[in-house]
Amino acid sequence: MAKELMMTGCRAAAEGAKAAEVEVICSYPIRPYTAIMMELAKMVANGELNAEFIHGEGEHAQVSVVLGACASGARAYTGSSGVGVTYAMEVYSPMAGGRYPAQMSIADRTLDPPGDFGSEHTDAMSTRDQGWLLGWACSPQEVYDNTLINYRVGEDHRVMLPQMVCQDGYFISHIPDKVILGDQSQVKEFLPPYRPISPLSTTEPVSHGPQIRPDQGAPMDAARAQTFLAVPKVIEEATADFNRIFGRNYDPFVEQYKLEDADIAFFIQGAHSNTCRTSVDRLRKQGVKAGMARLRWVRPWPTHQLANALGHVKAVGVVETSTSYGGAMRGGNLVHELRASLYDLEQRPLVTSFMAGLGGETIWPADFDYMAKVLTEMVKEKKTRNYVYWIGM
Amino acid sequence: MAKELPGYGTINVPKDRAVPFGAVTPAPVCTQDLFQTSNWRIVRPVKDDEKCTRCLICYMSCPDACWIYQEEQDLMEWVAGFCKGCQICINECPTGALTAVAELDFPDGVIRLDKPF
Amino acid sequence: MQAFDYKFQQLEPLKSFKRAPALEVYVPGHRTCAGCGPALNYRLTAKAAGPETIFIGPTGCMYVANSSYLCTPYACSWIHAQITNGGAVASGIEAAFKVLARKGKHNGSFPNVIVMAGDGGTVDIGLQAMSGMMYRNHKVLFICYDNESYANTGIQTSPTTPYGAATTFTPPGKEIPEGKVLFPKDAPQLVIGGHPAVKYVATTTIAHPLDLMNKVRKALSKPGPTFLHMLAPCPKGWLFDEKLTREMAKLAVETGMWSMYEWEDGEYKYTNVPKKYKPVGEYMKYQGRFAHLKPEHIAKMQAFVDERIKSVKEKIPIPVPTPKQKA
Repeated sequence: MAKELMMTGCRAAAEGAKAAEVEVICSYPIRPYTAIMMELAKMVANGELNAEFIHGEGEHAQVSVVLGACASGARAYTGSSGVGVTYAMEVYSPMAGGRYPAQMSIADRTLDPPGDFGSEHTDAMSTRDQGWLLGWACSPQEVYDNTLINYRVGEDHRVMLPQMVCQDGYFISHIPDKVILGDQSQVKEFLPPYRPISPLSTTEPVSHGPQIRPDQGAPMDAARAQTFLAVPKVIEEATADFNRIFGRNYDPFVEQYKLEDADIAFFIQGAHSNTCRTSVDRLRKQGVKAGMARLRWVRPWPTHQLANALGHVKAVGVVETSTSYGGAMRGGNLVHELRASLYDLEQRPLVTSFMAGLGGETIWPADFDYMAKVLTEMVKEKKTRNYVYWIGM
Repeated sequence: MAKELPGYGTINVPKDRAVPFGAVTPAPVCTQDLFQTSNWRIVRPVKDDEKCTRCLICYMSCPDACWIYQEEQDLMEWVAGFCKGCQICINECPTGALTAVAELDFPDGVIRLDKPF
Repeated sequence: MQAFDYKFQQLEPLKSFKRAPALEVYVPGHRTCAGCGPALNYRLTAKAAGPETIFIGPTGCMYVANSSYLCTPYACSWIHAQITNGGAVASGIEAAFKVLARKGKHNGSFPNVIVMAGDGGTVDIGLQAMSGMMYRNHKVLFICYDNESYANTGIQTSPTTPYGAATTFTPPGKEIPEGKVLFPKDAPQLVIGGHPAVKYVATTTIAHPLDLMNKVRKALSKPGPTFLHMLAPCPKGWLFDEKLTREMAKLAVETGMWSMYEWEDGEYKYTNVPKKYKPVGEYMKYQGRFAHLKPEHIAKMQAFVDERIKSVKEKIPIPVPTPKQKA
């Protein structure tokens, strides 16, 4: 039977990995994700999970180990935070290009300097062009669920891509919340065993990753781009199956909260969406027609779904939690892609960007009130005065 | 709304340009026939079976596996298709059974591939 | 954890060339230069290991020149690794086969897992991954085919490039007449010195094929991590006539530039120790990379080699006269 427990996002990720019966795990300590590995280490030591638990000598090794494991036909799992995520940067592209569907669980942390334990999405966002599936959860429950959904999508033969399952450090990773764990029969029905395509083998020898000519590079890139065209359908199927089997109610791509009649909307991902949701309720009580669109996947980016969800809104504020210094809007990473997604609408919303929750700062209800005020003024003036607002600065 | 928006188009990799999924290829069996290296050489080793003692040093010295010992006939066989003409075998032969002869001296010399690579 | 029979392969030593497996596992049709030392190294290693092997090929000559354009010479399974991470990818492969065997998903014998890394992929950028793998006791054979430079990128100096060698990063000039001024890292000693899980380390060269193949087979029959350091002369990088590839490896041993030994369970066993070492100049004179050296540089190299030979003498009691004459 499914059981409900209080647990942190890290524990939820470990429970998800255990439910998925991961076979090779590679750890390296860095806060805050490291608690995931501490949980898994206990499970392996207790004999609850039949897996090889490898102490990598760094994040670069972690991703390399799961690459080798995945190429050999094992379901592989790793994770990291902050500068650990960027230390492994070299190996992300070979993982995706070699079509190795291992999973990496990220609990966000700011990048140095100086050292800062706080959560910020820049670590994992900086990998978004490497060909991985990438998305954020907003609760320990969703971390558990996304772990299973990502394996199912990533290992689908129409996809075969590695996945980065992200949660905000501390806000999700270390604050316990209710989590319903599925029972093994549900997991079994939802997630078939990993079936590698042409794994390393002693009986059917293969060569993985030989050099190519420049004129073979374009077809390879095109094949990967083609895969990303197919991914949304697989995500829709997997989410529908997950909702049916586990009794959840996820929108595959964008959580749409009180958007139907909204004049202003927050566009957000991850933990701060919880404060945002209650802020929408509060603003509504004050007569402000606010709503929220919460992004569940950054890659693949749900362009049409966002245009559908936000097209009718008068002003959208992108709550960033990541940096893109010197970028087109001088804000974070999300605003560029949202603006681009809305560009072709006949009537597009005004869009600005709110730099908030950086360095691990809490985004307070009052901050959302301030953002709502800016958005309301934009609607009144019918123009975007600034591309970006730094909250509290 | 969405239906008025542009689509992503379709991507069709032409069949003749398709690259194997994940760049995984089957392993070769005996030789990598897709890449003959015979046209690299300007000389080839010519053997004297009388002087050859079948010591197999040439076989163990060739980076390109171009000497094979045929046990039934008790003879060394040279692999013309892949020999790059490095002459290690000639240099190593302890009995002087191998000599370097210019490719141009042979009617079938300097094999050129039908299609340049 | 309970003992589990992973069906590791046991490879008997080969008695002669004729007894070596006829099967080529590294097949001809690759783009290595004519007379390539590392290619011969690869071929002999693959022959000794047999077809039930998985090679991990970190970036280097043996990746770029071998696997070009989607056709490869590896008749067994092979995977490319970054130049940084050969040891880590191998760890993942070994771990995967272990867990798959335990779960009954892999039957049959355990593959020989071999990393074939260049000197850069072993003791320079690949050192961390190699050391991590050795420390964690993975059943992997890590081979360093040492051509003493980053040859694939155009002969840049690596940590195993000898003192005095001209490379494209150590060109001799008015200010720095000897080219490379540093002395090389000692790869096998790095492994022996700090990895208690490792029980077998050996050195060999491509000019000693039976020795090379038997060291590969012995290493693969050990239950844990093993390391082989193989001298693989590079005609293009060292600037010698390509027919002399094997000759260079032989001369390296005869001059003491290279020592052949096995280190097994803490004991050293040296082989091919010359009764009388030739002066290093005998080795250097064939190689264009040393052509610019003055007698004082060669003397400096000789002193370095003399010092190294001392440790050979300490480990086996053979009288070794230090050559005195000038090169």
